[in-house]
Amino acid sequence: MTALPRWVALPVAAAIAVAVVLGIQLARGGGTYEPLRSPPACADRTVDSQAEGLDGLTERLVLLGLADAACSLGVSREELTLQLAQQGPITDREVESLRSGLVAAVGEMKRDGSLPQASGLMDEALANAGLNRYLERAIRALPDRVVDSAVQVDDVLRRAIGSLDLRATLNSLDDPNALNRQVETAVTQAVKDSLIARIKGLLPGG
Amino acid sequence: MRRAVAPLLAVTVAMVLADSAVVTLALPDILQHLNATVGQVAWVLIAYNIVLGIAAVPSAALLRAGRPELLSALGIAAFAGSSAACAAAGSIEVLLTARCVQALGGALALVGCLSLLVADRGERQGLAVWITAGVIGTAIGPVVGGLLTQAISWQAIFVVQVPFAVLAVPAALAVRPGEQPRTDRHRPALRANLTQALLSAALTAALFLLVLLLVEGWRHSPATAALTVSVVPIAALCAAPLARLFGTPHHVEVAVGCFLVAGGLAGLAIPPSSSLVWTVAPQALVGLGLGLTVDRLTTMAMEARLPQATHAGWTIAARHVGVVVGLAILTPIFTADLADAEDPAQQAITALVLDAPLRPETKIEVAQALGTELSSQGGQVPDLNRAFDRLHVAPDEQATTDRLEHDLTDQLERAATRAFRDSFLVGAGLALLALLTVLVPTRRRSS
Repeated sequence: MTALPRWVALPVAAAIAVAVVLGIQLARGGGTYEPLRSPPACADRTVDSQAEGLDGLTERLVLLGLADAACSLGVSREELTLQLAQQGPITDREVESLRSGLVAAVGEMKRDGSLPQASGLMDEALANAGLNRYLERAIRALPDRVVDSAVQVDDVLRRAIGSLDLRATLNSLDDPNALNRQVETAVTQAVKDSLIARIKGLLPGG
Repeated sequence: MRRAVAPLLAVTVAMVLADSAVVTLALPDILQHLNATVGQVAWVLIAYNIVLGIAAVPSAALLRAGRPELLSALGIAAFAGSSAACAAAGSIEVLLTARCVQALGGALALVGCLSLLVADRGERQGLAVWITAGVIGTAIGPVVGGLLTQAISWQAIFVVQVPFAVLAVPAALAVRPGEQPRTDRHRPALRANLTQALLSAALTAALFLLVLLLVEGWRHSPATAALTVSVVPIAALCAAPLARLFGTPHHVEVAVGCFLVAGGLAGLAIPPSSSLVWTVAPQALVGLGLGLTVDRLTTMAMEARLPQATHAGWTIAARHVGVVVGLAILTPIFTADLADAEDPAQQAITALVLDAPLRPETKIEVAQALGTELSSQGGQVPDLNRAFDRLHVAPDEQATTDRLEHDLTDQLERAATRAFRDSFLVGAGLALLALLTVLVPTRRRSS
């Protein structure tokens, strides 16, 4: 048997060195060091909020609504968020998907019991409403049972979402004051409409 | 003076070749200082290499026609003057013009220094000094450039070259070279020069892309990047003693070198994280490959070929045309990949912000700060520190916000690393092509 020439050791050593380096890099996840991939458009999303009361409700509603709208548009929640946040034109299809996504989110929250009763939101709502002192006291004096039966949160939210000019709301994302004004106007009107509808429902022939 | 001649000429050779990539780490500073575009600033690198590549062979012809010591001194003086002009440049146009003149002077200086070193030290030693100086210059260029940029300024890169070049002018004039052959006796070594060109293109990927990844992608300072890429020259210096240990034939050494460069570039394409540690072993492979190939290929291209200066011109031309070809191939790939990386990175950032365990008002503030930063990035990887520095976060949310910043930065580093992957792999492909030129058997002429 003929012995291999000594110089063969260099190519062999080089091949081993390259194999070891690439092997270690790949074994430690080298081929997959990439940014997070967004889950598919209709993947289930867990939505948590660190806030309570109206803020928590709004956050959960928006996140669930976004996910639902993204699913109906066939894009990821992140893609839709970026599209809506950028200063570009918002299509009618996006606006309508968002509206129906928000309405669907209300139903979902009602089903899973995460939609609070009106009495649970009343303190915060009254504090922000800037009502007459006597009127505010009178409302506060109402028992929770009465408040909850008079104001159905899901109905109010559906009405508010239906009447909100979502295009204007999305264009006001950089202006918190304008955003609050639009939402407050829509919610106040929705509470009024909901109460009127309830009263009409109680009247004979209503 | 006599004893200082060879060292001064060797330093000149190293400087001229180092200038090929010396400004790589200074490009972001130049871009900012001269208010240039990314496209313009890339030409600070490209212009020098293209002019050096084109001017090398005509410079050798000029040297043969005239007095080598005078023309070399002229080239070195032009190199010194234009280096000073580069440092003083107040606009990108002036800098680019000065870089072209610097390369013209550099081409004359390079081939001239070979004739003068051979005249001063003899054929064998003179050639060895010229080649070694070139390898060292090529390998340490980006390191020195990065350290000077960080410690002083980008202008310092050019200023420090002036005194050495000025001293090399009388050194060149002090040598009396022998008679040079007036006609071309041998054809250029096609295979060695082709391998050299392909390998230079691949090495461009290693040095140019790696420093860009370190500075622009992973946001390290030029000094940290310079120290990191110093693995390449250190490994290159270890290559020759290692090869001697095995007594390997030259063409096998070159083949192994090409393979190591390809392996190192493939390793740089797939780091498991943005930790600098993961670049060390791949860089060591690239450095060993560089050390095994460049001097051997230069020797193979020039050995027993006359006139020597002409063949030196061909090998310089091959090397620097290779650099330009490498930049021409790789720049559009990584700029397109970097642009393509924006969407996945923005989506990953959006997902993390939406799902962050923060109060809604903090999320909105974070989103607004990030939006401002992302929209002002101008095609570059955004600096999230600036966005988070602007936030006014409640103390109970500070730790969560810090974690979010860390996670977002990680996503950006992942996106940048992914964006450079294809370019490194193309670089590895170029090194494998170089390997192919070595492995293809020579067709023997029948008598």
